[in-house]
Parts: sequence; structure tokens; C-alpha cells
Amino acid sequence: MKELDDYINQTQNLPPAPRVLPELLALLNHPDSDSRRVVNLIQVDPSLTAQVLRASNSVFYAGATPTLDLREAVSRLGFSTIGQIVAAATGSRALGRSQKGYGLDEGELWQHSVTSAVAAQVIARDCGLDQSLAFTAALLHDLGKIVLSGALEQRYEDLVSSVEQQQQSLVEAEQRLLGVNHAEVGGRLLARWKFPAPLVTAVWFHHQPKSAAPHGRLASCVYLANMIAYFLGRGYGRSAFALRGREEALTLLDVSADRIPHYMIETHARFTEVEALFSIRS
Amino acid sequence: MAVPVLTGFSQKVVVGVADFAVSNNPDVILTTYSLGSCLGVTLYDPVARVGGLLHLMLPDSEIDRAKAAENPAMFVDTGIPALFRAAYELHADKYRVEVCVAGGAQIMDNSHFFNIGRRNWEALNVLFAQHGLKVRASDVGGLVNRTMNLNLETGEVTLKISGKPGETPL
Repeated sequence: MKELDDYINQTQNLPPAPRVLPELLALLNHPDSDSRRVVNLIQVDPSLTAQVLRASNSVFYAGATPTLDLREAVSRLGFSTIGQIVAAATGSRALGRSQKGYGLDEGELWQHSVTSAVAAQVIARDCGLDQSLAFTAALLHDLGKIVLSGALEQRYEDLVSSVEQQQQSLVEAEQRLLGVNHAEVGGRLLARWKFPAPLVTAVWFHHQPKSAAPHGRLASCVYLANMIAYFLGRGYGRSAFALRGREEALTLLDVSADRIPHYMIETHARFTEVEALFSIRS
Repeated sequence: MAVPVLTGFSQKVVVGVADFAVSNNPDVILTTYSLGSCLGVTLYDPVARVGGLLHLMLPDSEIDRAKAAENPAMFVDTGIPALFRAAYELHADKYRVEVCVAGGAQIMDNSHFFNIGRRNWEALNVLFAQHGLKVRASDVGGLVNRTMNLNLETGEVTLKISGKPGETPL
């Protein structure tokens, strides 16, 4: 797909393909995984190792005594928390900066991403989905925005008027102005980076969960988590709420709309964790 | 609830999601960030020079009774009374206070399954009608994320819209 390659090649500050996270997700998925393999995998990347250790010793995660040993951190915090920290350390490299094409200041896309990730975990637990996968998919769901932001910067006024005057959603406006949208671009980039297929599909179709089969439930989880982050005020830029209501997300997850307020309450109750994840920034 | 101290310097007191603050300290500017579908509610008594700001999240405490008992600011029907009661403690008068409301953003949704913002605003209006209260000014709905400020010296309420420069008076 030529346009997409053009956009990706023009993107400045695109982070290098993350090597550790896709493999780690596969590893964490197997209950019989050996913690030595997890440690060895993370140690491949020294700056990631340093970030994981720093986060493990932060106020939110730390036990009584700090540790300088990755093996100890993994055994103390457990696979799933270590997985979240690695995901946050990886995601922050891409999502921490300002994205002017979307009117997003520094840190705003990251704040939205970590809030969505925690909301996705809340929903995944309620609906019996893989929590690590839901967390990471929601954390990375807007990755495509860092690719398209540069192109939209020159057309910012067009984007704003598409949404505000013509009542188009952000995805529709992107499609009209650029011929691609951030969800698809993010999915394609994650596929190129060899992330697991369910995660790639969930990101690709996080605004159209009906089209995400056979991963419609995970895509619906990311769709709802994204919306909950907006509801809780953790969505920024002009016309942040320009997304379509997709009732099929509820059908696919087999939950009623009455669950949404509860997901909001649970996500709000975990704002301290959101802050801890937010602070894992390079 | 945040309790600001008198310092003689202008100080910003930040009210979090599902929280409120009241004060009669003219140095204070009450601020709440990130109003999405949530509502920011300010009240100000220009005579007593008492003001308060509430950041509520959901329309009805029936959603989670235990949560409402622990944190009344989360819901319209428990948060509004809590805000008014705290302001009365500082000698605000029910019929003198000016109330402003902002937030309640809505996604583009025809299904009505995702209408928390609208339901918050409707619940507030029902409650106000029951108690003979009026909203002086509001900026509710739409697609935007808002920040709301109340200056306790002047009673002025300002809004900052995410993605737009500057603040505008409400």
C-alpha cells in the first residue's frame, strides 16, 4: 500500500520497531513460561531494562525494599505487571510527544493511551478476555496518529471544519483528507512490527468492531475503553468526541449499556495506577 | 475535599474527577481539568463571596450506592446537595448563589447507548427544577473536552476548550 508507506517513511521521530514487546506478549500468553526467559528477553534492551527497574521501584509498584535486579523485580511484581510496565515503556517512546496535526500537546496522547489501557483491562476482566492483550492493544490503539499527524498539520483547518461543520467523525475526516485513517495505519504498523494478530486487528478496527472478526470482542473492548477514556476527560485535542456510537460493541461483548458507568467507576478507582503508568516515560 | 489556606497570593486549587471544593478565600481560583462527559458545576454567592466547584461523573447514585456513600461527589443526586451544603457552612445563601455548568460532551451517537454526557445534564436539570434552582450560564454538550475555573474574588467563571488557545468567560 503506497500511501501508507509514504506516510510512514515521512514520519519523523518514528520509534524503531520494538523487539521485546511482541515476543513478550507471546511469552506471557503461555502460563508455563519460565521467568528466566522473560528476564533474558527484557535484558536484550538495556534502556528498557533500566526503565523497568526504575518503574518497579517507583512509589506505586515498590515493596519495602528497592531492587536493582531484574529477576527479582519480575518475581516480585509478576508477569502481568512486568508486561504492563514493558508495554508502557515501549508505548511512551512513540506516544509521549505532541501531535500537532491532532491539536495534541505533549503528554496528552500518552495520558489518553494509559487511561484507555487501564479501562480495557477493567472491561477485559469483566468479559473474560485476555487482560494483557487488551491492555496493550488499548495502550497502542492510537499509534497511527503519530504517522498521520505530520500530514494533518498542514490541513488542520480542513480537519476541524470536516468535524465541526460537516459533522464527520475523526476517522471519516482522515479518510476524506488523506485516503487513510489512524486506526488502519496503526494496525498496519503493528503488523509490520510483528505484534500478535488479535492485537493488530483490534487496533485496526477499534472504530469499527463489527469488521474485526474473528477478533471482534477484543476490538469492542478497545473501542469501549477508548470511549471511557474520553468520558473521563482523558481525551484531548479539538473535538475529541468525534467518534461514532457503535452499539455492536456491546452486542459482541454481550454486555448491556448499563455496564458502562461501572467501567467508568472502576477505571476512576485506578487513576493512581494510570498516573504510575503515565510517569513511565523516556 | 480540598481546604485552601489564606496566603495573600493568588493560588490555584485543583478539583479532581468526582471531587469538590468550597472556599471563601478571595485568593483562590478553583480549577477542574478534563471535563469529558462529566459536568463541572460552580456556585458563587457574590455577597458572602463564597464559591464552590464540583466535578461530577454520573447521573444517578442508584448506579452504585456504596460508592455514593463513600464519594457523594461522583453522582448528580448526591454531589449537588454535598456542594450546596458545604457552601451553606460558609454562609452562602441558596437564592443568592449563581450556578454555572460546563461539560457533558457527547460522542456522535444515534443509538443512545453512549449518552452519559446528556444524561448527566438531564439529571441536573430535573434536580434543579425540584429545588427551584436556576443555572445562570452553561456550556454543555458538543464534542469538546473542557477545563473550568472559578475566581473567588470576582465570581468569574472561565472555560478553556482543549485544542483551542486561551480562556473564555462563561
